[in-house]
Amino acid sequence: MAGRIVSLFRNLLRKRAVEQALDDELQSSVELLTQEKMKEGLSHSEARRQALIELGGIEQVKEEVRNVRLGRFLDNLARDLRFAVRQLRRNSGFTVTVIVTLALAIGANTAIFSVINVLMLKSLPYAHPERLGTIYLRATGSSVSNERAAIDGWRWELLRDNVPSLISAVSGGTSGVNLQAGSRVQYVRDGRVSARYFDVLGIQPIIGRSFSVDEDRPHGPKVAILSYGVCRNLFGSDAGVLGRAILLRGEPYAVVGVLPQGATTPGSSDVYTPLQPSRAGEGGGTNFDVITRLNSGASWEQANAEIQRAWEPVTQSMEKSNPGAHFMYYSVPLHKGETDTLRPQALALMLSAGFILLIACANLAGLTLVRVLRRAPEVATRLALGASGWQIQRQFWAESLLLALAGGATGIGVGFLALRGLLSLLPEHFLPVASVPLDPRVLVFSALITLLTSVLFGMLPALAASKLDLRSSMAGRAVAGLGSVRLRQALIVGEVSLAVVLLAGTGLLIRSLIHLETLAPGFNPDGVLVAKVSLDDVRYHDPAVFRKLLDESATAMRRIPGVEDAAVGLSLPYERTLNDQVMLSDGKEAGLQDNTDVVYVTPGYFETLQMPVLAGRVFSDADGATAQRVAVVNQAFARKFYGGTNPVGRYINQDTLIVGEVTDVSVSSGLYEGAPLMSEQTMYIPAAQVGTGYLSLVHVWFQPDWIVRTAGPVEGLSAAMQRALASADPNLPSSGVYGMKDLQARTLAMQRIEVALLGAMAGLALLLSTVGIFALVANLVAQRTREIGIRMALGSTVSQAMLQIVRSGAGASLLGLLVGLALSAGALRVMRSLLYGVDVYDGPTLAAVVFILVCATLAATTLPALKIASIDPAHTLREE
Amino acid sequence: MGEKRTDLLRGTLDLLILKALSLEPLHGVGVSRRITQITKGAFQVSFGSLFPSLHRMEEKGWLEAEWHASENNRRAKYYRLTSSGRARLKAEERDWKELVKIMRAAVESA
Repeated sequence: MAGRIVSLFRNLLRKRAVEQALDDELQSSVELLTQEKMKEGLSHSEARRQALIELGGIEQVKEEVRNVRLGRFLDNLARDLRFAVRQLRRNSGFTVTVIVTLALAIGANTAIFSVINVLMLKSLPYAHPERLGTIYLRATGSSVSNERAAIDGWRWELLRDNVPSLISAVSGGTSGVNLQAGSRVQYVRDGRVSARYFDVLGIQPIIGRSFSVDEDRPHGPKVAILSYGVCRNLFGSDAGVLGRAILLRGEPYAVVGVLPQGATTPGSSDVYTPLQPSRAGEGGGTNFDVITRLNSGASWEQANAEIQRAWEPVTQSMEKSNPGAHFMYYSVPLHKGETDTLRPQALALMLSAGFILLIACANLAGLTLVRVLRRAPEVATRLALGASGWQIQRQFWAESLLLALAGGATGIGVGFLALRGLLSLLPEHFLPVASVPLDPRVLVFSALITLLTSVLFGMLPALAASKLDLRSSMAGRAVAGLGSVRLRQALIVGEVSLAVVLLAGTGLLIRSLIHLETLAPGFNPDGVLVAKVSLDDVRYHDPAVFRKLLDESATAMRRIPGVEDAAVGLSLPYERTLNDQVMLSDGKEAGLQDNTDVVYVTPGYFETLQMPVLAGRVFSDADGATAQRVAVVNQAFARKFYGGTNPVGRYINQDTLIVGEVTDVSVSSGLYEGAPLMSEQTMYIPAAQVGTGYLSLVHVWFQPDWIVRTAGPVEGLSAAMQRALASADPNLPSSGVYGMKDLQARTLAMQRIEVALLGAMAGLALLLSTVGIFALVANLVAQRTREIGIRMALGSTVSQAMLQIVRSGAGASLLGLLVGLALSAGALRVMRSLLYGVDVYDGPTLAAVVFILVCATLAATTLPALKIASIDPAHTLREE
Repeated sequence: MGEKRTDLLRGTLDLLILKALSLEPLHGVGVSRRITQITKGAFQVSFGSLFPSLHRMEEKGWLEAEWHASENNRRAKYYRLTSSGRARLKAEERDWKELVKIMRAAVESA
């Protein structure tokens, strides 16, 4: 065995010496035979001639010996690859086209798959992730839904105390706060979590401990757990941090623990404080997110049965207020719960990336097919000289493989860049994972699709080569039969139809975005600037302090030169609004309870936004804390609760008088699932009449906005607004100043991302398809130069000849367009949930797709056909 | 030369080469001549089969090769049986005798 390995290495590495030895041996054999024959009396030259005949040809014997040598296979492969490299270098234009096409297709797939990988395939970065869950609510009957359930204090207490199969914890969302430790101040994300939250995730603090049950009770001690990064920034990571006080929301919190380095949670926060959930306040509504861990020995079925039993009173009361509906709570793996909302988009992207790959393959198959046919004489010559069919095939496969490898390697690089670009598009903390790596699984995926591509586009030329007709190919004629043109046209039809589906999908998303962006806002956004300020500070739980801050800062802003009006409100149009129950208190609607958006505003809010008043009046300074409680409602409110009649003079919530009605404005949907921007019933209340209970709660979730209206651009307005704020309270951090357009853009960020991503895919598909059509036509022109020359010599005009060539590309493209439109009619229905204000069968979108495709086809067919004009019949005929 | 060519049974060439080399080291031409001699002229091995076989058997370690001066002072590559080559020869001879016995019984059966 050792001897064979030595031989193998000698054969491969010391090739020249081995060959030399073989040559020597055969030469000496010839001489031995010659001498033998000379002894028989022949002359030297005759003896040598006969010796060579007996040996059967030195080169033939050598080839026979080489064939039995070890490593023959590797040897052949190396030779094929060397030949392939030479071939590809000689056709650098072809090679570059193929590699760029592959790089784009494989790059797009690599990038999208990395996202799919973290969203669907990788497990969560916690211990025993398969035992982690969350709770979904399925509604059937009169109302149908199935989504992750947010829970209230009542449900939480029942879950915590009556479901022994699970360790459960809740969190109350993450909000930005200022953290102060000694002289250092840092803006951090504070996650409010219940006791056992870290037990559920399986995270053990490296220093200190998790929150105790006592610390999680309402009005419990104020304690905090720091992430490793924040702890290092503030304290240099020494163990002495335990028990030290930090200031959060203006109140001291004692540090009880520090999380290990790299530990993340679903909320990915910097600081954690106890949620202290109860049935009151925040816990009065479904404001908590649940995570659960299955105890060892328990099963999910068992846990679900316990949940359903524990929450029976909950589902009963829900079914009572929603007659005909049936509700069921059940456990779902946490990974699914965390990524569910992003899956449809991610899958749609993966599907479009797959389309790109197919289009690229079709293009490459067409290109390589032409190349094989052009090389027909060469192949025929090799066949005639004794090469076997397999040797020829092997050669083509080697070239395809080499191209796929080069394209794949470049593609992974492109994918890495594309992924970075994609992630920079997404808002921070948008994906429920800390990072999207190009891990081994992604690389294996890329390698597999590279291999798949090489098979897909290598198959066609290999087949074509095996069907070559020796005689006609040798003669150098009949280069491309009608069959191969038909085949290429079929490929074009396929790729164009896929491109059309992507274009139509993108078109619909763009139309949705335009619809949302041009929705009548209901106010005048021009010249309005916004500064968002966090009031999540214990000082502002006092209504008097709160009122003073609002009055003083708004007055100071109104004094800024160039500012026409200023006000404060929570919240603004385009934003998501706080919602609460409202009760109608008079007339035939008395006693009716429903949800409404609630917005508190200072006097001047409606004037600053220039919202038209439809009836009654808006607020003034007279609507103070001790005056009659008043409200202004919008049209949607009047329509929903009063059938569109004038609401002014009606009472709600016992003692609150409706004094005015204003127009609807677009807000982020909160009450209803629907478009990202829509009108909802809204009641406005004066900020001066907001009570203590409300103040201590609402600013945990929402930050109010300071707004000013200016006639034109004002120099240094941003700094002036900051100064005005600081004159009222020097310790208020502001978000910086931005325009209403920015606010609208932020609300529609998801739609923009969808348009950008699908648009990029569709653009890529269109580009590749256009290149495919271009290549087909250019190639036909090159092949038929002689034929066209003869036709022109016989009296055909240039335009007739051009038309004939153009027709073959344009026909295929238009057929592809029709097939694509038919496909879109079916395929795009899945997009319905992403569309707003536009139907799946949208005339303008279809017209635009047709227009774009016709333009691309015209360009791709006429540009190469123009070359026909330069054909000189005399010249081409002489070539005969 | 080469007028009487009998196709060798597959596998017999190895046995003949091993047998030819069992007496003394020989070069390629010598092996060919020795096979003709020991088969009493019945077999004439073509060099196109002989040399590949010699090289294959050398890679398998049955043969060793050395360059020597030939009978008339030309350098030639001489092949010699190794110990594993001798073992191989024994095994092949045994198999062959077995085969012949079986074939004869089969052919002579009624």
